[in-house]
Amino acid sequence: MKKKLVTLVVLAAMILCMVAGCGKGSAKGESSNGGKTLNIYAWNEEFKGFFDKYYASKIPADVKVNWIINASDNGLYQQKLDEALKGQSKASADDKVDLFLAEADYITKYADSSYTLDISTIGVTDYSNMYDYTVKAASDSKGVVKGVSFQCCPSGLIYRRSIAKDLFGTDDPAAVQEKLNSWDKFEAVAADAKAKGYYMTASFAETYRVFSNNCTSAWVNSKNELHFDDQINAWIAQTDKFIENGYTLTAGVWDAEKQDQMYATGKTLCFFGPAWYFNFCMGNAQDPEKGCPGDWAVIEGPQAHFWGGTWMLAANGTDNADLVADIMKAFTVDEETVSNLVAKEGQYPNNKKVAAKYAEDPNFANAFLGGQNDVAVFSAMTDNIKWENHTIYDQQLNEGLQNKLQEFYKGAVSKEEAMNNFYNYVSETFKTIVINK
Amino acid sequence: MQNKEKKVKKKKGGISYAKWGYIFILPFFITYFIWSFLPQVLTFVYSFFKIYTEGLTEVAPEFIGFGNYVDLFTKTIGDSKTPTILLYAGNTMIMWILGAVPQFLIALLLAVWFTNLRLNIKGQGFFKTVIYMPNLIMASAFSMLIWTVFNPTGPVHMILENANLVSKEYDLFFSVTWARGLVAGINFLMWFGNTTIVLMAGIMGIDNSLFEAALIDGANSRKVFFKITLPLLMPILTYAVITSLIGGINMYDVPYILSKGNGTPNNTTTTLIMFIQRLLGPSKDYGTAGAASVLVFIFSAVLSLIVFKFFISKDGMRDNTKKGGKRK
Repeated sequence: MKKKLVTLVVLAAMILCMVAGCGKGSAKGESSNGGKTLNIYAWNEEFKGFFDKYYASKIPADVKVNWIINASDNGLYQQKLDEALKGQSKASADDKVDLFLAEADYITKYADSSYTLDISTIGVTDYSNMYDYTVKAASDSKGVVKGVSFQCCPSGLIYRRSIAKDLFGTDDPAAVQEKLNSWDKFEAVAADAKAKGYYMTASFAETYRVFSNNCTSAWVNSKNELHFDDQINAWIAQTDKFIENGYTLTAGVWDAEKQDQMYATGKTLCFFGPAWYFNFCMGNAQDPEKGCPGDWAVIEGPQAHFWGGTWMLAANGTDNADLVADIMKAFTVDEETVSNLVAKEGQYPNNKKVAAKYAEDPNFANAFLGGQNDVAVFSAMTDNIKWENHTIYDQQLNEGLQNKLQEFYKGAVSKEEAMNNFYNYVSETFKTIVINK
Repeated sequence: MQNKEKKVKKKKGGISYAKWGYIFILPFFITYFIWSFLPQVLTFVYSFFKIYTEGLTEVAPEFIGFGNYVDLFTKTIGDSKTPTILLYAGNTMIMWILGAVPQFLIALLLAVWFTNLRLNIKGQGFFKTVIYMPNLIMASAFSMLIWTVFNPTGPVHMILENANLVSKEYDLFFSVTWARGLVAGINFLMWFGNTTIVLMAGIMGIDNSLFEAALIDGANSRKVFFKITLPLLMPILTYAVITSLIGGINMYDVPYILSKGNGTPNNTTTTLIMFIQRLLGPSKDYGTAGAASVLVFIFSAVLSLIVFKFFISKDGMRDNTKKGGKRK
């Protein structure tokens, strides 16, 4: 009898284990409070760093913060996030997505869907100090605001002062801007740099964002046909020339080969990026031994543009609505936190008032940029940022085009093959995009 | 003996132990049914439907018969005549063969050496552990390691560069030979130990008296290998080849990581499963992916049958009935 009992218990345990995978409970309604786990989805550790430093102490003691971080390569982050959002109504309270981050390339997909909350309903209503494009980007097609960004991302040309001195005889930002304020001048300087043994840029895709974020039309037209904007074609033409003449390297924007050029031994004059770039992506240059902090400066460059940006969106069905709203406000409205982001983290804030305070402060200087006031430089560029011509396909199309063309620039395929591979990639990745070659 | 058994049966009051056996294996079958069999059937059903996601909205399924299959066999890259799915199937097979041929040759050699009574190799336990070791590492971690070592800023590239074998700009992962060779190399390194151990078990199952008789009759090692070891090893070898083949057709993580999911260069390292994964990207095209999966299933079944027929001829089967446990 005893044996039978034990057997039954074992069996029951085995079956329970099997079934345990199935979720339980279902919650309807849009948002609530009192959740014990705050689930935040992100694609890297950048925001987590700021959050831990400037906000974590304000979290109620009984709430656990759970970060779910998936890299964005090949759309992995979106895939995981989509699954979680779709399962939101069935997820148990502790598994519900509360807050998630989205980048410029795909924010439209989430903002213009029912999976995000109208943030005015949870108490985030003051957008007066935010830059217009960041609000527009996070709005759905009817103009309902779904999220906020803690960054504003005007992007500039970051150059090596020592190389500029060698080439132009000066490293003064105003003088260098004069030498690089159009693509024609940019190409002319590239030829001079090459003659002196320097590279103009360290990646074939370095200038991609400068062109692509100035497109006058979207990646797909009204009939959902794939469409190459003139700016994209101009980028391809320029890159063909740069690779052929050896002005740039064949590395991708994130490749180690390019990052190596940021060391003191690097031979590259220009990098392109916004404020988050030199803080988060130029670690090699910041390195106290092998790097060259102080040997950099930022200017507008040949064409004004923006790059990236991290938006915080509230997931529909969150059970920590007040906390989510408070986090959003802390990183955009709360002047103390925002000032910390600027002064200690080198960010350009999404708060015009704080930005103006630092831009006008004669004592504010960024040591990495040789004492330049980068906030003032970026401030002057913010008016030129427009949010238009974005589609839900942007991330994969921008990355796909770079990946397939890289094979051509590395000499693995002909240009025709590279373009055909891109069309094939698009047709395999997106069911609905029509390709007319 | 028989009397005793009868007694025991009477004592236990006719308890059927078989029943408990079935009950204990039941969870496996239920698990298999729910998480393997049903999805397989669903995949098959989906393959006849148009079903995908646009943005975050799922487009309602629409029955399209063999439409997805027709699509798969008409889609080509550029002006090429080869359907992309056949191109990917070709890549998969080439990379499997590149890895499997050395894998089986070396595994056979090692298995024969380790089991050879005359050689009586010392420290066998140590060697067996060491050659099995790569299999314990996750394929993706192994690939990441190889990528780190062979990429343009890695140590191998630096050595080749210093020896003037490649230029600074040359990227090994953008050369067809290197890219495919590295994928095959990783698969070989990961699996030859496993195969060695399986084959050793097979060889040790062969009656020792056969080897002794051959040696007394004056057969040399080569003769013993080809006339005794190999024929009697066939059932195990077939099993090893077929499992390796199925593993090869399902090749995914190694080429995915080495090519960052792009199948570079020129889609020559894109495997069938990488293709299916691509279809399940933002569009979540379950229909086409389902059709491709069904084709992969058919492809594996047909190839396995060919291998089976090739390795085990009817004569072979008869020879091996003694140890196969199958009695006619």
